[in-house]
Amino acid sequence: MLSTRDLVAGYDERTVLDGLDLELPADAFTVIVGPNACGKSTLLRTLARLLVPRRGSVLLDGKAIQELPTREVARRLAVLPQSPLVPEGVTVADLVGRGRQPYQRWWRQWSEEDSSAVDHAMALADVAGLADRPVDTLSGGQRQRVWIAMTLAQDTEALLLDEPTTFLDLAHQVEVLDLLHRLRVERGRTVVAVLHDLNQAARYADHLVAMRSGAVVAAGPPREILTAELVREVFGLDCVVVPCPVTGAPLVVPALTSPTLADPAARSSAPTPAGTASGTDASSPTGSTGATPAGSENALAGSYPSEGH
Amino acid sequence: MTAPSRDRSAGGVTTIEPAVATAGTARLPGRSLLRVGPLSVQIRRRSVLVAAVLLVLLAVAGVLSLSLGTPYVAAGDVLRALSGAGTPYDLVVLDLRLPRVVLAAVAGAAFGVAGTLIQSVARNPLASPDVIGVTQGAGLAATVALTSGAAAVVVGPAALAGGLVAAALVLALGARHGLAAQRFVLAGVAVAFALKALTEIVMLTAEAIDGQRAQIWLIGTLAGKGWTEAAWIGATLLVLLPVLAWAGWALNSSALDDDTARGIGLRPVSRRIALAGTGVLVAAMVTAQVGAVDFVALVAPQVARRLVRAERPPLVCAALMGALLLVLADLAGRRLFAPTQLPAGVLTAAIGGPYLMYLLLRGRKRSS
Repeated sequence: MLSTRDLVAGYDERTVLDGLDLELPADAFTVIVGPNACGKSTLLRTLARLLVPRRGSVLLDGKAIQELPTREVARRLAVLPQSPLVPEGVTVADLVGRGRQPYQRWWRQWSEEDSSAVDHAMALADVAGLADRPVDTLSGGQRQRVWIAMTLAQDTEALLLDEPTTFLDLAHQVEVLDLLHRLRVERGRTVVAVLHDLNQAARYADHLVAMRSGAVVAAGPPREILTAELVREVFGLDCVVVPCPVTGAPLVVPALTSPTLADPAARSSAPTPAGTASGTDASSPTGSTGATPAGSENALAGSYPSEGH
Repeated sequence: MTAPSRDRSAGGVTTIEPAVATAGTARLPGRSLLRVGPLSVQIRRRSVLVAAVLLVLLAVAGVLSLSLGTPYVAAGDVLRALSGAGTPYDLVVLDLRLPRVVLAAVAGAAFGVAGTLIQSVARNPLASPDVIGVTQGAGLAATVALTSGAAAVVVGPAALAGGLVAAALVLALGARHGLAAQRFVLAGVAVAFALKALTEIVMLTAEAIDGQRAQIWLIGTLAGKGWTEAAWIGATLLVLLPVLAWAGWALNSSALDDDTARGIGLRPVSRRIALAGTGVLVAAMVTAQVGAVDFVALVAPQVARRLVRAERPPLVCAALMGALLLVLADLAGRRLFAPTQLPAGVLTAAIGGPYLMYLLLRGRKRSS
């Protein structure tokens, strides 16, 4: 439903995207990844018409998004910016209610539809219990779910999110991504997100877009395109890609960058005086543990596909 | 690729339907809905309460202001005079005091409205017409008019034009990056300082008596003013009423950052320009009529906001608070050191200074 044609965009003098053609599949969870300053946020902001392109266009179902009334776009496309400002003292229900803005006018400030959409959005994002709480008293994870609820209240087909998991701990990251996954699978929404974590991208994305220096390097299902070569090309990092033991999706593990990383003995001896540390290790009651460092190092070296990369 | 995905999306949409179709129960906390035909307006219940209390206080302050003075008129006689019953005090109450009290209320309300709009756009509780150059622009123009021997009728229009020109300059300087809050305030402060310096130069080079007249104008006083000034301000507010009705709604989303605002289908920059422009217009008009009454526009919105416990200053309550403040300040100015009369602007500054310190101390406490 969203696509770009010869898109040129940037800030002030700096051109970030230079002639980008991209097709984002409808009803898919698309994740955009890439190194810092590769233009992924710029792309997302331009897709969401937060940034006006210098040239080219963003097409929403074939129509240039800049030429559509912004209110109409807001009924079809919701966006969660990277770190939205929480108005001081605003309550959860109030903030989620702002998502109804595209359906409201100053003479028609609230309708039954608004009520049900807000209810529904708060239930989906699991923040209904927090309705009366001021948003600035919530935890980071709760706050992010409130913002997502606000975008859900917009009742759009598509949802764009700019690094929705930044500043969240791992459990809350998974919680937010699970919510987006549910929206995609159960509600048929089109979700587009910029993520930093490759493994989370591989786990949740139906469609992965890998960017570097403002250009798309590869796009497709993560299981097809996410390889060690791609990671090296995009991030300049050597890595091992193995199937995730839980999901089977590609799991990216950075290659051994320092031999001591794989040698617990060498690492544990570092802070203590060298001689005594290694001595106690060797004479420790569990003799087998003393043998593991060397063994595991060999095992890692063995699984490391050094030859093809 | 697109065909099957469209099918899936259609399937997904149908699952949402029942949930959307069921009647919602979500109520915005602390708000009620006012429905009149096709009209539906969200109203903060606490705002209604605060507004009612402020109205009562304003009425009390008004009667007090009509009654105190030489001669003293008992409250009962004031009310009788107001009801048109015909009392020996009609001249004092209706002709001498009432115009000034009404002017204080109308001008105070206008200051409250202007302050609310400007503070919301600037996202800064310290922003007000005094801080962003409108007052100084009006002041410079009025000073020039007063010291150049121009006719008295020229002073008001000159001040209005001066305020608007200064505001246009501030808006133009601040507009380069979409009228971002900080830029707007900085531009205002810079213009205000420059204008203030010019005003001082004009005043110092003028005849002493003219300089003193300008000085009194700059402080802001209601003495010798009445129906005409009140009518001008009232008419301005009346003409802008549809805009203000829209502004009351638009202010709801003024605290959102620009990206979020655009995401929900707003045009934050044009919205800010409209809100700031309206605020500036009201501020320039009221300053042109009563002079630079300091701090009412600054304090009224913030006090009202704290009373209502909202995330932004409420328009109606701020107007009522401004009216109450100025009626009280004018009364205090008349009576505190009677028979010496202090201009209302001195009193409001005397209240506003400590209030600013309080805000600063509070802010420091919160940030630490």
